[in-house]
Parts: sequence; C-alpha cells; structure tokens
Amino acid sequence: MTDASGGLPTTIPAARSELTAVPASRGVNNLGYRTWSDKLVPGWTRWWVITEVGARRAWQSRWLRRMMLFAWLPAIWFGVGFFLWEQLATHPEWKSGLHPFLLDLPDTPELNRIQVAMSSNDVEQSRHTVWAWLLLSFFRNPQAVLMVMVIGVISPPLISQDIRSRAFLLYFSRPLTRFEYLIGKLATLWAYLAVISTLPALALYVMGILLSQDTVVIQSTWDMPLRIIGASVVLMLPTSMLALCCSSLTQESRYAAFGWFAIWILGWFTYVAATSVETFNATQEAIEAHEQAPRQPGRRFRRPERRVTPIKESVWTHLSLYHGLGRVQRWMFGFAEFKDVAVSAAILMAVTLASLGITYYKISAPMRV
Amino acid sequence: MTALIDLVNITKYYGRFRALDDVSLQIHSGITGLLGPNGAGKTTLIKVLLGLVRITSGRGRLLDFELGRQNREIRAHVGYMPEDDCYLHGMTGVECVQFVAQLSCLPAVEALRRSHEILDFCGLAQERYRTVETYSTGMRQKLRFAQAIVHDPPVLILDEPTSGLDPEERQVMLNRIRVLARDHGKAVLLCTHILPDVQSISDAVVILARGRIQVADTMAELSRPTTPSVEVRLMGESDRFVETIRGRGIRVDLQSNGGILLQGLPDQLATHVWQAASACGIGVRSLTPSRNSLEEIFLSAVREGGSRD
Repeated sequence: MTDASGGLPTTIPAARSELTAVPASRGVNNLGYRTWSDKLVPGWTRWWVITEVGARRAWQSRWLRRMMLFAWLPAIWFGVGFFLWEQLATHPEWKSGLHPFLLDLPDTPELNRIQVAMSSNDVEQSRHTVWAWLLLSFFRNPQAVLMVMVIGVISPPLISQDIRSRAFLLYFSRPLTRFEYLIGKLATLWAYLAVISTLPALALYVMGILLSQDTVVIQSTWDMPLRIIGASVVLMLPTSMLALCCSSLTQESRYAAFGWFAIWILGWFTYVAATSVETFNATQEAIEAHEQAPRQPGRRFRRPERRVTPIKESVWTHLSLYHGLGRVQRWMFGFAEFKDVAVSAAILMAVTLASLGITYYKISAPMRV
Repeated sequence: MTALIDLVNITKYYGRFRALDDVSLQIHSGITGLLGPNGAGKTTLIKVLLGLVRITSGRGRLLDFELGRQNREIRAHVGYMPEDDCYLHGMTGVECVQFVAQLSCLPAVEALRRSHEILDFCGLAQERYRTVETYSTGMRQKLRFAQAIVHDPPVLILDEPTSGLDPEERQVMLNRIRVLARDHGKAVLLCTHILPDVQSISDAVVILARGRIQVADTMAELSRPTTPSVEVRLMGESDRFVETIRGRGIRVDLQSNGGILLQGLPDQLATHVWQAASACGIGVRSLTPSRNSLEEIFLSAVREGGSRD
C-alpha cells in the first residue's frame, strides 16, 4: 500500500529490509532519500539570497514594473539639458541669447552659480557647475519623488510579511545572522533605488562625456561619478532604513505603506506651511520698509523692485525628510558648505540609526520568547 | 559511544522565570523522543540547541561545535522543523525549499535539484508548483519537513512533525523519520505530544517537566516492568483458566481491557499457560511479555516533577 503521491509505504514495516527497498509503484523521479555532500558556497554571501528573492518577488508587482519604466523618462529630459549645454560650449556666441532668461532666474545659491558660470568664459569650470546642477536637479526633482513611490511599493511587505507568516524561525534556524538578514532586505531596496537614480545619473554623465568633443572633459569632471555615488548613498541609507523600520512595526503591510507615505506627505506639508509663514512675514517686512522709504521726486507711485523673494526656512522645515535629503545632496554636488547642511545631515543620521535600532529589535523579538 | 548532543548543567532564565533548570543530557544517534507537558521547557531547549537564545549558565556541545560560540556551524549541521506554521509568503513550495537550501549554503542550481529530490521523498507532487498559502495543513507539514532535511543535516530537530496529519499520512511521516534515522544515521530529536508516535519509533526518551529532566533513558529500559510478567489474551471464558493458574501458585491480575496479567518470568510462565489452557479447553489468542506504557511513564514523571516543587 502506498500513499497518494506514490511515495513510501503507508504501513510501518517491521524489518529494516522493507524500509530500504524501493516500492514498485514509486514515482519515476523518486529516488528515495539520498545523502548530499557537495561543495558549499561561503556563508557570508547568504544575504545575497534574501536580496535576490526579495527583488524577484517585488518585480511581480505590475505597478512596480510600470514605475521602473517611468523612472527612466526624466533621464531623457536631462539628457537634452546635457546636449544643449555641450552645444553652448561649442558655440559660445549662442550665450548672448540666453542672457534675458538668466536674469530672471530665482535667487537661489545654485542658480546664482549657474548665472556666474554661464557668464564666464572658462568652459571647463562652467561645465562642471552646469553638469553638477543638472545631476542635482535630476536627483532632487523627479527621482526623489519616484524614490518615495518605488520604496512605498517594495518595502511594506519585506519584513511585515515575515512577521505575519512567522518566517523568522525559517531564517534564523539556518546559518544566517540577524545582521545578514537585515542587509539582505536593505540590499533589495538599494538595488531598485540604484536602478532609478544611480544608473541613470551615471548614464547621463557618460552621455555628457560622449557628447563633448574633448578628452579634457574627463579631467574636469572626474569627480562627478563619485558625487553621484555619494548622493545615491545619501538617498538610499536613511530612506531604506526608515522604510524597513515601518515594515517591521506591523504585521499588515498596508499599515507600513500608510506610515511610509504619511511621513513624506506630512513632512512636505510641514515644510510648505513653515516656509509660507516665514516667507509671508519677510515679504510683509519688505513692503513696510519700502512704504516707509521716501518717494522718488517726480513719481506719483512707488515702483517695487522686480525680484523674487527667497524662501525663508525655520526650524520646523527640518521635519521634512525630503528637503533634508535635498540639503545634503546639494552639499554632495558642491552647491553648499557642510556647515550649512550639518543639521540636516545629523537628522538623517539620527533617523538612520534609530530606524536600524528599532528594526533590529523587532527582528530579534520573536527569538527572545 | 560519543554523544552527538551533550549538555552540561544548562540553565536558562527569561527575566526571573527559570525555563531550564540545570539540564544535563546526552543524545546519541537514532531517534530520541522529547516529551513534556506544555511549558515544560521543550521549545526553550530546542532554541538553546539552535543557538537562538543565550544560555544563562552551563555549557554544551552539538556534534563538534560549542553551544553559544559556534552557533553558525551548529545551524549549518542541524535541520529544524518548527511547530509553528511558518512559511515564506508568495512563494511556491519548490521555491521555498530551494530558498532555505540556499540559506544553508547550497549553490543555487544544486539547491533547486535537491529541492525536487527531497519533495519527491516527502510526497509533494505537483502541489510543489502552487503558492504555499494554498496548501493544506498536511502539505505544509511535508513542506516544513522537506525544508528541514534539504541540506542533509546529521542532526534533525522535529517539533510536532505529525500534528495535523491524518492517520495514514502520520504513519508515512513516521516512516520517513525512521528511514532517515536507521538508514542514513541521522540523530533525530522528536518533540511531540503524541505518545504513541514516540513509543513506536523512538530509541530513547527524554521527559522534561518544569524545566528539569525527569526521565532520560532508552525505550527498552523504560518499557521493562519492575516485576517481570506476561499478558495473556484468551478466546472464550477465562474463569476456569484463571482458577487453574492460581491453583499453580501464580499471581494473576485481571485487567480492564480483558487481558490477564501473570507475574513471573515469561519463559517459566509460558509452560503453565499452555498446560492450563489445554486443561480448560480454551484457545490462547496472545501471550506477550508485558511492558510499561509510555503514557504511564510520562504521567508518573510529570507528577514527580510537580510534587518536587
């Protein structure tokens, strides 16, 4: 008598010979139990298995596949930027046509430097500045927003599903440490973030090199790949840690997704509210000062100066992680001094460490009881 | 014979609660049943063996590896089948087994080949291509068993491997465990509440109660009654037979299940039984040396553990 799958006899044989015999009705492929003693792969690479499986499972999401495709579209737009700049570098006479636009640019540190760079005759110096600005803009505007959405799709089930399905015992009864488990999960997010930010940025850089007609370009922009990698690290570390922390706090991945998006949206609104108040106050002060100023002779009305009021930041604006990331990335691309972004860097560091501590604790908790 | 698992004075506290109290234990190859009431410390003992929790005091070795210091090596050489229904969400059966094989350091392609081989052995046929969430309890048990043995570990820790299985599947599962232990030399620690399972396949038994080892001995020793006796079952009325036997000076106890317990050495009693049966014109259905039941041993050990506190 055999089981339904054509496996072993269903009655316990008393004699040893019956146990070792292969029943005639056993499946063609069933060779019984066989020992295995082949060469093992090194144990420290086990995190890669978790990453590979995590990335494969995430890719099953139709939404993620669409987002990944969409994530490369901004690179085309910025590629056009690189192309136009290289055309300007080749034809300096075209610069005169740009002057009216340059004068109307908002008063920000990056754009001030762009104005100076475009006005100068040092092509190599201005190329470095323009490329850095294009890459910073690429990281800040489309990719940072896409990052929030991509991580919001991938990260919520990464740990919460393991908690719900009690899979920790499966992981940790194997030669795998909790740290390796964590690295495996983080690397899943890093892989996708690299595909939407680091790789297109590096591709833009390579395209810029190919568009330029001089090998001196490599000499003047050699630091760009390093800055891209630095900006990617700034983007990946705190965001992936925070995402895993959200995932580890609940068994329901939808709650983790809600928490993740809430952090970014609330942070954004806090920034907008805080800067609006500060900017409004600054504008009012400027108007009052202008009204109290003596009238110019021969004029009936005061004519306000045509300029853009710079955004005023308060302490509350540091609550926005999006803008915190922006400040540190600005430093990465050379548009700010470290002392100007030290608070944001410290906040991102604190977020990373706190998230790491909480996640590690939540992973270890089921083993303690 | 060298013990595969050797624990010396292991104590484990969770806060102020003492989960394991001075546990010293040696486990050899073959099947060892680990028994105990709920909260006896079985799960803690398993976690200690796997290095998942730190021991408060004591020391121990599993194979050639020291507990607490070489946890990674220990886990590479142990196959653990958890009692909890733990699985990897969204993966098919064969992917789950391949995944844990890779976590145990098998190369990717070999892990897939080995997974199919083990799933064949465990009786998971085409179901292996379905996602685990759709599996029945029995299929999940088979899957967990496959995950425990896929890397061919010399030591197996099986926590309730037959719970939730129908009687037929239960026998098949016990048979698989027996094959691994007897034909492939695995040391199996079988943790279960189903005493007949332990009695039918175990070579040794360990009974834990309130964190202490109450009983640790071979099945043969534990089954041997304190006074030798045989159990007789007859075909027909037993009154005349009992009187005849008593008349020969043999002590007789009538059991509630219809058996007749005769005290004395089995070899000597056999002659008396056949002669008495012949004299009474009655047939003998069975004549077997009596054994202590595991249930009695278990209850006695647990009561003893309770009374000590």
